[in-house]
Parts: sequence; structure tokens; C-alpha cells
Amino acid sequence: MSVVVRRNIPQIIVALIIVLMVIFYFFYIEKPVSDAFGTADKALSDWAIVITAIAAIVGGIDILRYHANQIRKRERRQIIFSSIVIVLEIIMVSLACYALSSGIAITTQPNFQWLYTYLYAPADAAMYSILVFYIASASYRTFRARNPPAILLLIVAIIVMLGNTSLGAMIWEGFLPLRDWIYNVPNTAAFRPITMGIGFGLIILGLRLIIGKETTWMGRRE
Amino acid sequence: MDIAKYKTWIALALFVLLLIVVSVGYYQSLGIINPKAGNVSFVLLLVLLFAGYYFIGKARGGKPIPVRKIAAFDAIEEGIARAVEMGKTVHFTLGYGPISTVNAPQYLAGLGVLGHVARLCAKYGAQLVSTLGVPELIAAEEEIIRDAYYSGGKPELYNVTYNVRYLTDQQFAYASAVQATIQRENAGANIVVGPFWAESLIFMEAGAAIEAFQVAGTARETQIPFFVLAADYAFIGEEIFAAGAMASGDVETLASIRGQDIGKLLSWILIVVGLILLPMGVKLAEYLVK
Repeated sequence: MSVVVRRNIPQIIVALIIVLMVIFYFFYIEKPVSDAFGTADKALSDWAIVITAIAAIVGGIDILRYHANQIRKRERRQIIFSSIVIVLEIIMVSLACYALSSGIAITTQPNFQWLYTYLYAPADAAMYSILVFYIASASYRTFRARNPPAILLLIVAIIVMLGNTSLGAMIWEGFLPLRDWIYNVPNTAAFRPITMGIGFGLIILGLRLIIGKETTWMGRRE
Repeated sequence: MDIAKYKTWIALALFVLLLIVVSVGYYQSLGIINPKAGNVSFVLLLVLLFAGYYFIGKARGGKPIPVRKIAAFDAIEEGIARAVEMGKTVHFTLGYGPISTVNAPQYLAGLGVLGHVARLCAKYGAQLVSTLGVPELIAAEEEIIRDAYYSGGKPELYNVTYNVRYLTDQQFAYASAVQATIQRENAGANIVVGPFWAESLIFMEAGAAIEAFQVAGTARETQIPFFVLAADYAFIGEEIFAAGAMASGDVETLASIRGQDIGKLLSWILIVVGLILLPMGVKLAEYLVK
């Protein structure tokens, strides 16, 4: 594949889309023109959905390839997990195909729905719940009073924790307003420069994409 | 025709044209500027783009442009070297979900850092395991890692099913699979760069449990504190975009970071001017966002 097809044309498409997006955002466009751009915008969104759907198939094949490889290599610790993944993937895909052939939406197919509700959703919720223990262990490591900034962090954390609980209000009524002040003043003051910095970073990344200096997204270098 | 030779000029011409159209339209009161977007933000956008481009041009002319150091970027090499010394693997992850969202720039920044990590792994002979939950980026990751190992003279270390592992695009399924990968592979270095949500702390704690050297970064404000506290080194906000430029090793790309610094300087000036004007009853911020 020539360099023009492989690198230059995708770069020009990306640059053009970025410039168009800037125009759509900043300029008032007459109705017939904006309608035409709206149609083009809808077409772009549809393409994105199609690409994502095809990429999901590639992802499914990638998962199968990895786990089949693990079983083939007889990785003792991995073989059970890989078998479960492959069996479940085949079941879910088969049910989805059956639903499509029956002319109903995949998510409303009863067996698919059952697996999602009673297998996937509880596992997902359990994983989310584990976070509370991680927050505790991370807090334990972080809030050790090793140096002055860590001591300050510890004090602020205690104030916020007490402000969030009814116990704090029982000890001293001032914890709640103090917590709100920490949220609204120092916390906001710290976050705003970060948000602005992210904006500047995005603009410069956009510039690099427009002039073709950012090429990592295309994979290998020439 | 060599399009690559002219693409910079085409882009510049487009923006100059845009600027002329806007200026003429504004002065002729044609009402072409979207009143919801604001004139000042458009001018600021142009100033930053031209500032970035100016420094790129200067670097192209051979003038060295000093760029600030990012500790987390330098720490990546330390982490990989440490993993090699300990005979452990290097783990990298970039996030999950579809790429056609507002988080796309963060995936791009993550890919830039991955390229750097992969080249260092090839240099030191480290085994890299890259997990991801973005199906659109499987091919790009495979190419980046293959390119790094082949150009680094270590093709024997490249094994596509081992190096690149697509997990899923569902949040907690992805989180548990990444956690399992970090722990089962016994990673010596855990590098996490991209858009992350609640799973950020899960990754950090999984790495901490096996005493991995951790470098993390995201531009999602709510997750930055987790990375700053739990990782050994963290990219804070825009640093992940700068890291992508640093990873390229190209002086012109690197010079564009100075544009970001101009933006910060401009913000400082506006904040100070705003503070001076406030006691006089002039609210600069309100005028700017009009």
C-alpha cells in the first residue's frame, strides 16, 4: 500500500474533520447549509456505529484466539478460566444469533436476558463493591503522616470524612460547613487549572493532528 | 504528487482563510459567529493554535526549543529497567469503551505512551503485556508493539496473542480482567494511561499488591487524585497529551508543547487582570464567556 493511501489520505480526512468540527461549533450557518451538514454529521455517526460493531467482532475473535491459545498450551492455572470464557462467549453469541433469526431484539431474548440479569449484572455489581475495600487499603497507605503535605492531607481527609457522617455533626456542628468550604473553595481552585490545562493539551493535540505531526493512531511508523 | 510536503501549508491556509472570513464577517456584522460559542474563546483557540505552530516552525528552523521535564515520563524508563532486573513483565493498559466518544484524544495520548513503552521494552528486552478494552484500537496496538520490537532488534519477543490482549468493552468485566492480568503476570511495572473511571483505583491496588512500579495518567479530573495518591508517578491532566509528543522523539512535535505553556501563561495574565479589575466592579470572566 502506498504511503499516500496508507498515511496521507487518513491524515487529510482527520484534519478536515477537525476543521469542520471547529466550523460547526463556532459559526452560525444558514439553515439549508446547516441541514446539509447535519445530514453529513448523521452519516459520520452511522459510520462510527458500523465501525464499532465490526471492531466488536474483531474483539470477540481476539478473545477466542487468546483463550484457545491458553487451552492449547495447557496453562494449568489459566485453563479453567479460559474454558469458562470460551463457553460463555459461544453461548451468548449463539443466543444473540438465535434472537436475530427469530426477528426479536437481542436484549429481549429471554435466555440472553436471564444470563445478563442473573450472571453478568451481579458479577458486575460485586466488582464495583470491591472498590470500597480498595479505597480503604489505598487510604491506609496514602494517609500515613510521613511529611508535612501528607499530614495536611490526613487532616483534610479527617475533616471531610467527619463532615460526611452524622458522627461528625454530633462531635462538632462546624464539620459540615467546613467540608462544604473545602469542596467549594480549595478543591475547586485546584481543579480549575487542571481542567484548563486539559483544554490547552487538547487544542495542541488537535493542532498536531491537523498538521500531521501526531501519527501514533495509525500504528507502525514508516 | 507528494501530499505530505504540502499538508502543513494546506492546514495553515485553511486556518488563515477561516480567520479572514471570521474577521470580515464580524466587522460587517453578518452574524456568522455562533452567539452560543463566544468570540473570545474562538480568538483564544486561534492564538493557541498559532502559538503551537509558531514553535513548531522555530524548531523546524533548527532553533532548540526548551521543553519542561515531566517526571512521570522519565520514570517509565526506570520502571521498565526495574522490571527487567527483577525478571518480570511490563503491563500497560489504555482504557475501555468505544473510540467515537469525547475520550478519543486520551486514547490517542495513551497510544503515544504505549509506543514509548514498547520501544523501551525492546531496548531492555522486557516482555510487554498490553491490555485494552477498545476494539477499534486492537490493530493499532498490534502494529505499534510489533514495530517497536522489530525496529529494536528483538523480534523474538513479539507474540501477538501474548503482547496484545483485548478484554472487553464493559467497565467492570474489563477492570477484573486487567486486575487478574496484572497479578497473574506478576508485572514488575504497571503503566496505566488513558481515560479511566472507577476502575482506576482497582488497577493501582492490583499493582500495589504485587509491589509493581506504577506510572499512571488520565485527563479525567475525578480520577486524577486516585492516580496521584496511589501511583509512584502520575501524569496530571494535560501531561498525558504532552507525553505523546515527548514519546515521538521528534523536536518539532515536542516544540508544540510550548503552545500549551503559552495557554497557561495567558490564563495567568487573564486571572491577574481579572483580580485587578474585580474591585473596580468589572467582571472580566463574565465578559470573556459572553
